[in-house]
Amino acid sequence: MDSLINLLDAFQIIFSNPYSLMYILIGVAAGIIVGCLPGLTATMGVALLVPFTFSLPPVQGLLLLLGIFTGGIYGGSISGILIRTPGTPAAAATLLDGYPLSQRGEAGKAIGIATIASFIGGSIGALIMSFLAPEIAQFGLRFGPPEFFALAIFGLTMIISISGVSLLKGAIAALFGLLLTTIGLDPLSGVARFSFGSDDLLGGITFIPALIGLFGFAQVFHNIEKMQIVPQVKSKVGKILPSLKEIRSLLPTMFKSGGMGAMTGSVPGLGADVAAFIAYAEAKRTAKKPEEFGKGALEGVAAPEAANNGATGGAMIPMLTLGIPGDAVTAVLLGALTIHGFQPGPLLFVNHLDIVYPIFAGMILCQLVLLIVGLAGARLFARLINIDTRILTAVIFLLCIVGSYSIRFSFFDVGLGLTIGVLAYFMGKAQFPVSPILLALILGPMAEQNMRRSLMLSRDDPTIFFTRPISAIFLFLAVFMAITSYIRFKQLRKIEQRVADDAAVENESNNG
Amino acid sequence: MKKFVCLLAVLFIFAAPASAQDFPNKDITLIVPWSAGGGTDTIARALVKNAEEHIGVNVNVVNQTGGGGVVGMTAAKLARADGYSVGMITFGLSTYKLMGLSDISYRDYELIQLLNQSSAAISVRSKSEWTTLGELIEFAQANPGEVSLGHTGAGGAWHLSAASLGVLHDAEFNFIPFDGGAPTRAAMLGGHVDAVATGIDEVKQLYDAGEVRILAVNALERHPAFPDVPTLEEAGYKIDAPVLDWRGLALPQGVPEDRVAIIEEGFKKMFEDPEFVAFTEEVGLALVYEDAEGYESFLANMEEVLAPTLDAVGLLKE
Repeated sequence: MDSLINLLDAFQIIFSNPYSLMYILIGVAAGIIVGCLPGLTATMGVALLVPFTFSLPPVQGLLLLLGIFTGGIYGGSISGILIRTPGTPAAAATLLDGYPLSQRGEAGKAIGIATIASFIGGSIGALIMSFLAPEIAQFGLRFGPPEFFALAIFGLTMIISISGVSLLKGAIAALFGLLLTTIGLDPLSGVARFSFGSDDLLGGITFIPALIGLFGFAQVFHNIEKMQIVPQVKSKVGKILPSLKEIRSLLPTMFKSGGMGAMTGSVPGLGADVAAFIAYAEAKRTAKKPEEFGKGALEGVAAPEAANNGATGGAMIPMLTLGIPGDAVTAVLLGALTIHGFQPGPLLFVNHLDIVYPIFAGMILCQLVLLIVGLAGARLFARLINIDTRILTAVIFLLCIVGSYSIRFSFFDVGLGLTIGVLAYFMGKAQFPVSPILLALILGPMAEQNMRRSLMLSRDDPTIFFTRPISAIFLFLAVFMAITSYIRFKQLRKIEQRVADDAAVENESNNG
Repeated sequence: MKKFVCLLAVLFIFAAPASAQDFPNKDITLIVPWSAGGGTDTIARALVKNAEEHIGVNVNVVNQTGGGGVVGMTAAKLARADGYSVGMITFGLSTYKLMGLSDISYRDYELIQLLNQSSAAISVRSKSEWTTLGELIEFAQANPGEVSLGHTGAGGAWHLSAASLGVLHDAEFNFIPFDGGAPTRAAMLGGHVDAVATGIDEVKQLYDAGEVRILAVNALERHPAFPDVPTLEEAGYKIDAPVLDWRGLALPQGVPEDRVAIIEEGFKKMFEDPEFVAFTEEVGLALVYEDAEGYESFLANMEEVLAPTLDAVGLLKE
């Protein structure tokens, strides 16, 4: 009850300053722009704006940053849906169905659903954060190395859900991604692996340029090839709001994914990107029509978007209560709070309720503002796709180059992005899915490092993975997910085969 | 056209000496080799917060991360030597060469000043059975390899600091490397490791909240922000030359002397800014100033201390 009163007080504090809402609005709008530009991630957006908040009162400064965080995670989905280039890693799962939707001319609807899902997921995350932060934080601490390993293995089973037509090709892509993650300085042994003496490779395969290469550059090459042959898709901008019936049918997915996202985000080290993939795979596994996934299923947009915005609230929890950031963005926010004179940690809830509750209230308000700005802007964003492909492709190409450079101001990274882009383009030609590579890049280091760490802890006794309850549960879930997803996969192939056969028979009879 | 080019060239030659007085006339870049939001980054941003008052222009922090700091520090070494690129250099620079990771060392820079030295703390969570360092070490001596000790990365200051304690006093720890300070703290709080070695400032919040017990600090004197935490010697386990984490500023070699002087003076003023000093006190960071000369001898000494420690943990490459 105390927390509810504190929360209401905080709303009052925020509303008592007329500029507060303005800062949220500016933050969310700026966040959306930062988020939808490839290479400018929510993390960078927040980091870039921290110095600007120095001159603001702490509450207003933080509202601005929270706005960017919220807007940035959401904004990544817009470019994912429109141009198949996720603006942030968290949106990489959204494009699997978002892009096919926009190719069908339903970009507006896809963005509309992404907006509503982000709002619902984000609100669930913000509410869980406001009322359950200390309890959730204690839960997050129960994750040690064996638990993280089991979770990563569980995550890797999602490859089955995102492999497309061939499981074998999906597995090959994932293994390739896992191999890439072994490049660079190994933090466990302090030894350089596969760097061939290059300082640039010592840093490993940088994630953002790889992401841009896999989707952005590859899409550019693909566009260039098709430019003169395939007529451009004209997006029906008119319908932004999905029908009430559609929204109602998506609500269970959104609520479930938002909750899953918040829980995932609250475990230190797991961010919005992992949350989105988990929710996507779960939605597909339990969907009534899984065969639509990958071809423009509405749930395929709703689930990851609800989850990644839910994860924003979740990630704030360990940062505020323990001083341990849940992901990269909250790490920057932790720095910002520190500079403003509030050291996040257990004492923050004792000494500085004056900042804790405005943060909670601010997070909730950010979701509302996001809904309004997102729906208002959706029409405008969807129109972008109607720009002549020849111009759009050139612009995307430029953005991809700038994006891969700017993450750490490195030309090496531009080359890296281009190389991976060429590779991804040919993989596309050979019908290899590229999403498993991305998933492997995210989960590979987590799986490898924590496996080794666990074995160090147990002194090479592998039973450590099965004797700890959380670890055992996730390993069991991994097996369960793998089996059920595989059965679904087989069923789907059968249905598709039958459809193809029927079509062939029909063709024959027509011809005959 | 040719005449015009000649004229331009002449103008440039005459313009050059004048520009020294104008230095700096555009924003300065501070290359930070660690990611945004981390400890080093936060200090860098706090340091340059009021840069304009002290050096006349803004200083922008740019994070060039990767390779355990090698990427950013190499970038600072190779940056244009016009004084507009300043590098934050950190502890790793003392180890890269010894560990065979990279050829860069402090000798590749025009050193500006030392900013801080941090000491390692050996901490356990408050629920732990050990209340003093003596109990922990005696247990580790009696049960070699039983005590799991988390640290923030192999070859890092805290790993080496704890390793030297173990080597000198015959206590065998089971070292568990994590990737940075935050996951290390989380593992301690969750009880996944028995003890951790981190920078003492990294556990300040948890210490103040009573969540952790700091058993000892690996320094010759007590830390002003932690007057109740004994040094290793006071706890009964003397170390003559403790491994210290450090951060400092450097320019690439070849920057004109007058510009070096301007940078030195400007950053010293930022370093002494009361707001920055207050910030470092709040987070429990011990500022230590050394000018270029003192800095150099500190770094030379650090390499001598580190070589045998790295050898003891099997990370020395010769």
